[in-house]
Amino acid sequence: MVAIGEGVISQLRRGVLQFCVLALLREEERYGFEIVRTLSEAEGLVTTEGTVYPLLARLRKDGVVETTWRESSSGPPRRYYRLTPAGRSLLDAFTAEWMRFRDSVDTLLGTGALK
Amino acid sequence: MTTTTMHPLAADYLHRLERAARRLPRAERHELVDEITAHLSEATRPEMSDAEMLTVLDRLGDPEDIVEAQLPAPGERRGSREWAAILLLLLGGFAFFVGWIAGVILLWGSRAWNTRDKLIGTLIFPGGLVSALVAGILLATPQRCTRLNGVVQHCTPGPSTTHSVITIVVLALLVVGPFCTSVYLARRAR
Repeated sequence: MVAIGEGVISQLRRGVLQFCVLALLREEERYGFEIVRTLSEAEGLVTTEGTVYPLLARLRKDGVVETTWRESSSGPPRRYYRLTPAGRSLLDAFTAEWMRFRDSVDTLLGTGALK
Repeated sequence: MTTTTMHPLAADYLHRLERAARRLPRAERHELVDEITAHLSEATRPEMSDAEMLTVLDRLGDPEDIVEAQLPAPGERRGSREWAAILLLLLGGFAFFVGWIAGVILLWGSRAWNTRDKLIGTLIFPGGLVSALVAGILLATPQRCTRLNGVVQHCTPGPSTTHSVITIVVLALLVVGPFCTSVYLARRAR
């Protein structure tokens, strides 16, 4: 029996995770813990919550998200993340690409032929 | 750091993270530790049981893995800029010292090294190999004699044995030092 390489799945996950983060920020700004917990509730997307923080740092360095500190009613100030215009257009571009990709893969996996 | 009000397991986890994060540049290290600290204070309460705490920490993942995720991907490490920096620090001094300065600029501009690496790269030794050459010329002063009508009048004493030994040691350090620094920087670059 041939097993799916763990590498394939983790590469796929790594590839799409950043866009899932951007998608979470499409409508509203969120703080780190909120992003991490929402992602980890989605099945199979995040295996170690802690590695999302380096990803957030990288997205900020790439200029697709920006951060602001806001007071919290229940503790110390929180760092909130929100999309920059560049992040929004990146997310839109990925969404369109992903739909096409997903449809093709689904079709092939389902019937073995393209429509 | 508010580790005093934290669950001991959370405090212990943060210590492990801080230790692992020493490989990161200072600003990145602070941001990462801050975010994980905030995560722990959101996800845990001091009165939690050890089992509940361990569940939170398991979900968070191993500190080493988190730091590893912060490092650039293997393909991005030790790029051509980093090799240029290492070569210029070693040999750039021969280009009227300007090459060495360019090496220092590349070194400090790179994310591949932390501050300690950069200090070592800059200070051992300024100029790279050219400083060995300059020091060699300065230290190896031969015996000098004044002559009058071809007859030796007076000679300054040549280098004494201790002087020679010191000269050789200093020169050896000046040659070996920059090479060691190059190897060190190549290994530390990530």
